[in-house]
Amino acid sequence: MEVLLGITGKDFTIVAASKAAMRGATILKASDDKTRELNSHSLMAFSGEAGDTVQFAEFIQANIQLYSMRNSMELSPSATASFVRGELARALRSRRPYTVNLLLGGYDKIADKPTLYWIDYLASSAPVPYAAHGYAQYYCLSLLDKHHHPDIDFERGMKILRMCTEELKRRLPIDFKGVTVKVITKDGIREVEYEDDVKVVVP
Amino acid sequence: MASVFTGAPPQGGPGYSFKQTPTVALSGERQHSFYPYTDNGGSTLGISGADFTILAGDTRSTHGYNINTRYAPKLFKIGGEGPENKGSRIVLSVVGFAADGDALKERLDTIVKMYKYQHGKSITVAACAQRLSHILYNKRFFPYYVHAILGGIDEDGKGALYSYDPVGSYEREQCRAAGAAASLIMPFLDNQVNLKNQYEPGSGTGHDLQAKLAQPLPRKDVEDLVRDAFTSAVERHIEVGDGLQMMIITKDGIEETFTPLKKD
Amino acid sequence: MDSLVAQYTRPAFSEAGQSQEEQQGLSQASPELSLKFALPPVAQSASWLRAMTDDYSNPNCPIKIAHGTTTLAFRFKGGIIVATDSRATAGNWIASQTVKKVIEINNCLLGTMAGGAADCQYWLAFLGMQCRLHELRHKRRISVAAASKILANLVYSYKGMGLSMGTMCAGVTPQEGPALYYIDSDGTRLAGNLFCVGSGQTFAYGVLDAQYQYDLSDEDALELGRRSILAATHRDAYSGGFINLYHVKEDGWVKHGFNDTNPMFWKTKLEKGEFSNVTADLV
Repeated sequence: MEVLLGITGKDFTIVAASKAAMRGATILKASDDKTRELNSHSLMAFSGEAGDTVQFAEFIQANIQLYSMRNSMELSPSATASFVRGELARALRSRRPYTVNLLLGGYDKIADKPTLYWIDYLASSAPVPYAAHGYAQYYCLSLLDKHHHPDIDFERGMKILRMCTEELKRRLPIDFKGVTVKVITKDGIREVEYEDDVKVVVP
Repeated sequence: MASVFTGAPPQGGPGYSFKQTPTVALSGERQHSFYPYTDNGGSTLGISGADFTILAGDTRSTHGYNINTRYAPKLFKIGGEGPENKGSRIVLSVVGFAADGDALKERLDTIVKMYKYQHGKSITVAACAQRLSHILYNKRFFPYYVHAILGGIDEDGKGALYSYDPVGSYEREQCRAAGAAASLIMPFLDNQVNLKNQYEPGSGTGHDLQAKLAQPLPRKDVEDLVRDAFTSAVERHIEVGDGLQMMIITKDGIEETFTPLKKD
Repeated sequence: MDSLVAQYTRPAFSEAGQSQEEQQGLSQASPELSLKFALPPVAQSASWLRAMTDDYSNPNCPIKIAHGTTTLAFRFKGGIIVATDSRATAGNWIASQTVKKVIEINNCLLGTMAGGAADCQYWLAFLGMQCRLHELRHKRRISVAAASKILANLVYSYKGMGLSMGTMCAGVTPQEGPALYYIDSDGTRLAGNLFCVGSGQTFAYGVLDAQYQYDLSDEDALELGRRSILAATHRDAYSGGFINLYHVKEDGWVKHGFNDTNPMFWKTKLEKGEFSNVTADLV
């Protein structure tokens, strides 16, 4: 019941990931950060098999940073997505594949456009205006279909995210302990304060 | 000794099927060996028009890759006079397991005849359709392995066609194909009868296109459509062939035709 | 000895043809909606039926029963909105795109259909009969609470036999006002303001929850119900076809059309700019 959400707008990409680290019927930690910064303008959120997730994310993070140091320039979000997909696809054909679902939020400084890539553990990759992984797909995609427009501003984006998290709080049987929210703009990545204990009622 | 000839299977001996049937509840996970069904293949099809309904079915009966017979009708007149069902205005078509189809036909026919004796008038198609649904549902926990289509003329004189799933959910429709080649014939019918994905020529491009509206087809056209559907299905499905039986129900009665199909 | 023989002897051909009971069943024209069901001659009929008809646990099952749906109903100040899609599927085959999943039990009670199509059709017709009998016996209309309980008790008595239905009963009565109940084949019966049932339920909930309020106007409520089903038909492959919309009011229900989703989708996309993940341009 891990939640990953991504929303792009006019000049930003919002990435949200649930804070609960669950093992079986236990919540081990309620302030888990399921995201890693790959470089100054791309952020990866991940969910899936315990262990695989952080291992894969940090492996990617290290390699992207190595690229930046060697070449004194940063990989564009689309190139990052291709690299991540390639590594996941390569691992998929190995003895032990990574079972990790990913959202790659970024800001393309050259095209001056926010980007979002949806990648699943079978290494399917797609550029999308909004995305979700896991059970969140079932509740949020229809909602995003209705309320998302390509040129929304940041406030509107956060409002839509609020609608999504409230719906999940309302309908998911297990508490996912709220979400960490990060925003990627042309100025880089920043974390946004997000009020998690808003009371929602089931009508 | 008369007691030898009871209908129940002898205790300890072979059961209803040739494989072992459990007669007492056993504990734990078990495989089911009771399999009273077989698929006799073939396809049926029905189309209703303004004042007629056509039902059609091929006459091949198969069992696996074997052909049992080249003439086993899947269309049955329901509720007429005598064994020939004279004066009947309702036709039932069944495809799937032929023995269940036969049992179902007998049941419906008897009930429709009893209805006439008891009420002094013929049953309406709408009532017959609902009754058939209930017959099928009465075997909800031991279903008839059949897809049924019922055709007739309704109280307004219009062509009526009802289609059923094996346990009796039913719906009145303009056209329906059932059986082995349903997935080949039904898309063709959607396009040619309900005019799906057809647009008015010259009404624009892209999203401006006006969809064509379906209207009841003349009898000649429908007969041609049915023949085309079956000759095409014969080309691509091994369980369809040999002969095409058609019944055309109008206010004047049921006309029956037979068209040979390829026999390979 | 004779008495012993007589005890074990049956008349010859006693089982040939139809039994007394069967003949009676044929000669009586009325017992159409009956509670007598044929059972297969095996010890565990429920698991046998599952092996034959449950395409979820056994994809090669011989008898495919129509499944898959999105249905919703919600209470608001103007009554109850009931909306459904119209697709019936058997495995991956679209068996029909024109199913009427709202069943008109009588002129002020509606039932919705999710799960086995035949189960819902049959038992809601049976419920209709029971409701009419209640009216004749008690000279007043049955309450929605009582009607839904008849259905819940009924399906509970068949629990484990393989019935599959998720249904909602919506109606307005003078004593209850607008009332909505959810009943499923497990035997659950819940009263509530808002339910979505079927494979597309989550997608409908997503849109519906976000804008649902009890104080919705009639027009807004109808539009929200319609849009929620549209969302589900877009995201759930087992839902689609036409949108069937009903508004239940104090003096009975009103039908608000049976409309094709395809033009509705393009209108929503092109005029309101929604569904921005779908391209409208021909590449």
